Amino acid sequence: MSAGVVGKAIARVDGRAKVTGAARYAADAEVRGVAHGVLVMSTVARGRIVALDTRAAQAAPGVVDVYTHLTMPRLTVPAPTTGYFKRFVPMQDENIQHAGQPVAIVVARTLEEAQQAAVLVIVRYESQTPQVVLADGLGDAYVPAPGSDGTNDYVRGDTGAGLAAAGVIVDATYTTPLQHHNPLEPSVTVAAWSGDRLTVHESTQGISNTQNALMQALGVPRENVRVITPFVGGGFGAKGPVWPHTLLTAAVARLAGTPVKLVLTRAHTYTSHGHRAETHQTLRIGAARDGRLTAIEHVVTQPVSRSDELVFNSSEPTRMLYACPHVRSTQRAVRLDLPTASFVRSPEAATSHALESTLDELSHALQLDPVELRLRNWSAVNQETGAPHGSNFLRECYERGAAEFGWARRDPRPGSMRDRDGLIGWGMATAAHTAGGRPGAGAAVTISVEGTALIRSGTQDLGTGTYTVMQQIGAQVLGLPLHAVRFDLGDTNFPPAFASAASATVPGVGSGVVRAATTARGRVVALAVADPRSPLYGVEPARISTADGYLHVTGQPSRRVSYRSVLRRHGQPIEVTSDPAPAALGYSTGAVFVEVHVDPAIGRIRVRRVVGVFDPGRVLNRQTARSQAIGGAIWAIGFTLMEHTLIDPHLGRVVTPNLSGYLVPVNADVPDIEVGFIDRPDPSSPALGARGFGETPMTGVTAAIGNAVHHAIGKRIRDLPITQDKVIAALS
Amino acid sequence: MRAFAYTPADSPEAAVRLAAEPQARYIAGGTDLLNLMKDGVQQHDRLIDINNLPLREITVSEDRVRLGALARMSDVAGHPGVRRRLPLLSQALLAGASPQVRNMASIGGNLLQRTRCWYFRDSTMPCNKREPGSGCSALEGLNRWHAVLGGSDRCIAVHPSDLAVALTALDATVTTLSAQGPRSIPVREFYLSPGDTPDRETVLRPGELITGLDVPATDRSAESRYLKVRDRATFEFAVVSVAAVVAVRHGVVRQASLAFGGVAPRPWRSPEAEQALIGRPLHAATVAAAGRALVRGAIPREHNGFKIPLVQRALADVLDGFGGRR
Ligand SMILES: Cc1cc2nc3c(=O)[nH]c(=O)nc-3n(C[C@H](O)[C@H](O)[C@H](O)COP(=O)(O)OP(=O)(O)OC[C@H]3O[C@@H](n4cnc5c(N)ncnc54)[C@H](O)[C@@H]3O)c2cc1C
Ligand code: SF4
Repeated sequence: MSAGVVGKAIARVDGRAKVTGAARYAADAEVRGVAHGVLVMSTVARGRIVALDTRAAQAAPGVVDVYTHLTMPRLTVPAPTTGYFKRFVPMQDENIQHAGQPVAIVVARTLEEAQQAAVLVIVRYESQTPQVVLADGLGDAYVPAPGSDGTNDYVRGDTGAGLAAAGVIVDATYTTPLQHHNPLEPSVTVAAWSGDRLTVHESTQGISNTQNALMQALGVPRENVRVITPFVGGGFGAKGPVWPHTLLTAAVARLAGTPVKLVLTRAHTYTSHGHRAETHQTLRIGAARDGRLTAIEHVVTQPVSRSDELVFNSSEPTRMLYACPHVRSTQRAVRLDLPTASFVRSPEAATSHALESTLDELSHALQLDPVELRLRNWSAVNQETGAPHGSNFLRECYERGAAEFGWARRDPRPGSMRDRDGLIGWGMATAAHTAGGRPGAGAAVTISVEGTALIRSGTQDLGTGTYTVMQQIGAQVLGLPLHAVRFDLGDTNFPPAFASAASATVPGVGSGVVRAATTARGRVVALAVADPRSPLYGVEPARISTADGYLHVTGQPSRRVSYRSVLRRHGQPIEVTSDPAPAALGYSTGAVFVEVHVDPAIGRIRVRRVVGVFDPGRVLNRQTARSQAIGGAIWAIGFTLMEHTLIDPHLGRVVTPNLSGYLVPVNADVPDIEVGFIDRPDPSSPALGARGFGETPMTGVTAAIGNAVHHAIGKRIRDLPITQDKVIAALS
Repeated sequence: MRAFAYTPADSPEAAVRLAAEPQARYIAGGTDLLNLMKDGVQQHDRLIDINNLPLREITVSEDRVRLGALARMSDVAGHPGVRRRLPLLSQALLAGASPQVRNMASIGGNLLQRTRCWYFRDSTMPCNKREPGSGCSALEGLNRWHAVLGGSDRCIAVHPSDLAVALTALDATVTTLSAQGPRSIPVREFYLSPGDTPDRETVLRPGELITGLDVPATDRSAESRYLKVRDRATFEFAVVSVAAVVAVRHGVVRQASLAFGGVAPRPWRSPEAEQALIGRPLHAATVAAAGRALVRGAIPREHNGFKIPLVQRALADVLDGFGGRR
């Protein structure tokens, strides 16, 4: 392998196309004769449709047709294994299960005509009072049957005994609000039929899921459905599952006899592609006087819809992270009249927030430095499985992060650090998230007679840098310069890949590329050593190295031959395809340190400084990895200080369905963010020692901010977001 | 959004004539109007584009600043004369929206922007302001951002403009033109309380055109500040805001003009709070008394009670900076 291609800071290879507008996103697909679909959404949260009048809409200019449950074909509900999590398809009957559920689709020649006609659809409902408030339903909480991620009632040891043995016990209740993904690009489906073959340009994190769900919903064979997604304008989980609009658009395109493009409006995204469910969490942590944990009891309660019971705020941090003999982690559900929840970047963030905040409470109770508390409970193994981590440099993260932040200068007494106009707080927490452990991906490598490589995999690039790092991995394994390798993705005609989710792309697709490229390289080496005209003739293949487009005898760089001449002589391309292979579950961790400033007069909080040091295994690309860490910290600022989707308790409807009502951080909210990496390969990772990392850096920061606020004001605010009114209430 | 006709006007008189049509509406920057139309909150058959009217000028003289209704928020905020003579105005404008919106948004349009109450902004939810008689969803609903002062049992929406709050403290005058001719309206009388008719927000007659604003320059000895408290650092409407013009001599308040945003359906004045300050030494007890006077009669709802202490704290924070106290 040649050194240097992997590990460098390399700008995204698709960056220029994106900033110049050359990148074609799903809605940019040029499909001849495409008509425009607009959804009409239910305005009640629970009930049924009793009357529909589409005459005015149908008569409006440009309208192709208006579809409702009365005219839609019957669609099969795709199995959850396709990523279609909702347990019903809308517009199949008159029932309304949540506000913002599609009740009609208007298809017209232009978008404006479709929008204008959509307002003319009249729907009358018989509605019942919806239940949408988690706090009111806590009494009805139940433990759902085990889901795909295992049991919802996890027990290790005997927490009763562990608590009895504790020197100190802290109890705390934390809540986190309902939140949305808010990708810049809303979900898009452009569906075009040619006979019984369907091509879909989709903004999705999982083209294979989309293909499977469409195939099941519409009852067509897999080979008749092609899904294409060259670019995604952010997903954060919103586009990981498959959602109704995709199935409905494909179905109406067939009925209308014309390709149909449907772009969710921003408002529609708040009920159409999942959300992070609200949580209510109680924690009881016991520890010996020296800080060693003796027991953790953690109950997280979250709403589920009327028809599914998937809980996505999962409790891995409690189960896996810290050395603790007695742990009980229970995940409870409360049925409410809400849309289906799903995963949002860093599904472990909500439980991590409560755990890491309660540990801070414990450090106060013990009068033990929070870094020291975590060091004393560091675990070499995955506490849930007992298996050792592939590698684990979390202790090094604490030490380096603390040094870079200047943690040693912290006065632990709350309210003790000030400047001219307010209070300063320093807080820290552990960042940790599982990564990978999903079905993985295949890849196809073609080495042309010119000695360049094309690698293809049916994965997606959410904007995280998949094009870039896969090109780097391919170049590294083959020993070609970066520019001689191209990576292509986003087409179900390529070898299949798991959805770009669960921090699984680098381990899953990365290892698929490694496998295919390793085999392809072996084939080229075999050709070179078997050819009497080659300077490498007769050399043991194991003694051949490849770098910069050449094959040479290891240790004798001048005895070499270029890829190009080997392939030219061979006279035809070399093609290798790898099959998907599951990648082991990784655990990427880090330590985060935060400084906040609080103006006690008006309760205003500003995050002043974030330092994060992470262990993602080997860093494939310092620039894209750093961007993940920065983006995670920014989102964590939003998570902790401002983000929440509000649902009217009586109407059961989202009242903040736009970026004016749903606040995310703006530049002025974002301070200096310093990012460091341990950067040591994980020997267990088949992706050149790299683990998945995308979801880790959002964890830890949320609790570090909350812990810093406590350090500044001496009061603990346990309900997110921490807004000014709560600070003032705590201070008065 | 429904289709509409579009007609540019080439003089104020022509604009007023066109506006006689019942469902016509002026469009300036369009930064509020188009959102409302796209969301189906308002429907107009005709938009009269007033951007070509000669109403963009900013004139600064010794005793007053005159702003054309079509001057952009950014033009006014960055104008050296305004910054020198009326820093409060510039601060309030810069505290609003984003640079992009401010480049587009006009002063006249800013005064007439509509509330951010989300029940109002969703055309399918009950709201007395949008659809008189349909009920107020906020009274028993999510009302964290709603009014604690000056509301009625029909509507507790807050007026969102930062500019209007500053203009109220500055005692500005709105100048207009209608079929009945030109007139001047003090800003302090421009906005209506919701009462039983929350759909009526100002004293403007149908089709009346705002031509400009007259703002008296503040006393040279006075200090002023606009403080906006909100849920993120910028690009967000006020949770509460305070505009204050205060003259302190020898430690005693000689003059005080206060206005508050985010707490009431209109830019809120409190003569009682002003009276609690004038003639008294500016120390903590005076400041606290002014705060108490301000919130006397405030009505908290389920989620917005925090505004009552918050607005007093914001006022105290502003006053603490005056008279060399900090
Ligand atoms: C994202 C965003 C954030 C914002 N944040 C803030 C904020 O923090 N603080 C703040 O104060 N504002 C804020 N605003 C509101 C913004 O300031 C107003 O939208 C803007 O000032 C309206 O001016 P305009 O010229 O675009 O008006 P338009 O949208 O063109 O018109 C608004 C209304 O005024 C009427 N109108 C316009 N000009 C005249 C005239 N001369 N005579 C009679 N009627 C007229 C129109 O008919 C219409 O009814 C924000 C807006 C946006 C979009
Ligand atoms: S507060 Fe006013 S604007 Fe809001 S819902 Fe009530 S009536 Fe409508």
